[in-house]
Amino acid sequence: MLSQPAPPREHLDLVGDLVYQSVELLDESLWNEWLALCADSFVYKIVAFSPEIRHDMVWLEHGLQGMLNLVDLLPKHQSDRSRLTRHTSLYRVSQRDDGDYDAVSSVAVYRTTLDGGVTTLFALGKYYDSARVEAGRATFLSRTVRLETRDLGLGTHFPL
Amino acid sequence: MSRSGSQWTQRPSLPPSHYVDARLYTDERLFAEEKERIFASSWFVACHQSELPKRGDFRTVAHPAGANLVVVRGDSGPRAFYNVCPHRGNTIVYEPAGNGASLTCIFHQWSFDTQGRCIGIPREREGYQERLCKADFGLRAVRTEVDFGGFVWVNLDDRAESLADYIGEALDGMRGCLGSEPLEVFSFHRVIAHTNWKFWNDTNSEFYHDYIHYFNRQTSMLQQGYFERKYLPFRNGHVVVGDQIVEYEAYKGGENRTLTFPTLEPNQWKLTILFPGMAYNVRGSSMRVDSVVPLAPGKVAIEYRGLGLLRDTPAERALRIRDYNSIWGPFGRNLHEDQLAVHGQGLARGSGQTFIVQAREENDTIHDEVGMRAFYAEWSRRMGRQAHDPYPLPQLDAPLIAEYLS
Repeated sequence: MLSQPAPPREHLDLVGDLVYQSVELLDESLWNEWLALCADSFVYKIVAFSPEIRHDMVWLEHGLQGMLNLVDLLPKHQSDRSRLTRHTSLYRVSQRDDGDYDAVSSVAVYRTTLDGGVTTLFALGKYYDSARVEAGRATFLSRTVRLETRDLGLGTHFPL
Repeated sequence: MSRSGSQWTQRPSLPPSHYVDARLYTDERLFAEEKERIFASSWFVACHQSELPKRGDFRTVAHPAGANLVVVRGDSGPRAFYNVCPHRGNTIVYEPAGNGASLTCIFHQWSFDTQGRCIGIPREREGYQERLCKADFGLRAVRTEVDFGGFVWVNLDDRAESLADYIGEALDGMRGCLGSEPLEVFSFHRVIAHTNWKFWNDTNSEFYHDYIHYFNRQTSMLQQGYFERKYLPFRNGHVVVGDQIVEYEAYKGGENRTLTFPTLEPNQWKLTILFPGMAYNVRGSSMRVDSVVPLAPGKVAIEYRGLGLLRDTPAERALRIRDYNSIWGPFGRNLHEDQLAVHGQGLARGSGQTFIVQAREENDTIHDEVGMRAFYAEWSRRMGRQAHDPYPLPQLDAPLIAEYLS
């Protein structure tokens, strides 16, 4: 049996850097800059498993254009303006048979109120990302946020 | 002109039906009475039958009157019981859902079948001899009916009117959506909101608050027919909101619904609010059903269920879920705004506001607050108190006072 050649180290690093870069941009609500890291075929999902109905649930799903529309309309909506800050640890990056990459990270999203700056845990989960490396640049193909937390209080209009 | 402290607390110059005393949202005594006089004898949506598809499936439920229940599917369908072991009062089922041939208490291994009968007591004869038998230690059964779209309804009051009588004609306009074919829950989420449970119901009961929703302003308020929608109150405090065809494409990136519910026109919206704290909301391709579980005067659990048709193909289901999430669910454009509003009302308690106004009159149309007034009329009837004046000062009995003074 032929063994798969090891993926280039620099590709793995590019994908890891992409994950952290996305978190920095999301933390600063730089939505369009974050989406600029995504391929045209990008799909964003937020999912959770419900022990109550014993099914996976999809709570948000959009392609790139849907996400661009979503962030474009954010100023029109009444939203909780508390800051959401993400703490992420990259667990692993692996190369798939088709040459693209999968990355798994933990994410804890903290909510800090504008009035008083009280910080509480908003949501706990994992990022399941897929990415492509071309011409020395990594690009998101998809992001699935799988939440452990299901009571999200007020909820949010913002991507996690 | 702003108002002074004494003006702020003055009773409004409105008919008593058009405002409520703000203590209804904070008072511990009223809260305890609501549990006893309203929730302990009202029908309540415990879960949906699709959450219990197989024999032996169970689902735990927090009832708004305070009881913890477990719904179990037996041969004759779902039945609800108190989730309490009759032996030493322990919780029997801890998981929110599961399956088992019997329910067994972890504490001393007493076990119960799907009929609620006690079927196992370890070392029964050695300990109890002939003094106690299993037949006397069944679970406490709760009245259970499955209806109105396959929902499992429960009522703690053994003598309460039937579910059909309780609902009356309030869901007649949705019969086709609810009764034509089986439904299935695809989304469930529960939120603990720091507000009074009635604020949530108020929000469901009036549409004047559409001003908070950019999505609804674009797709409904600016569209034909919106201001003709009528509110129609029914017996027992239920309210039906007139239908509308929604223009989803008026919202950037929005898409008109390609799927519908049975008997629903494309993009049609139907809404019924059921006293004391439930709502059936069908919009185009998906349905949302709310139920509230009050936890304290300033704390409520709100459960949201999203439903499609049981026969949906994976592609159809994905479409319904996408439509549902565009406005509802924890990341929906509308639900977050509704929750912000009731959260804000919760924050503002303690500001000394003494009355909440529900005085809009627009010929019972969409921005009329007749829905709220219907709710508080029923609240007053059930509570034996007036919502505008829940603690009236005792009337002075002049002859008695004269006699006392003499």
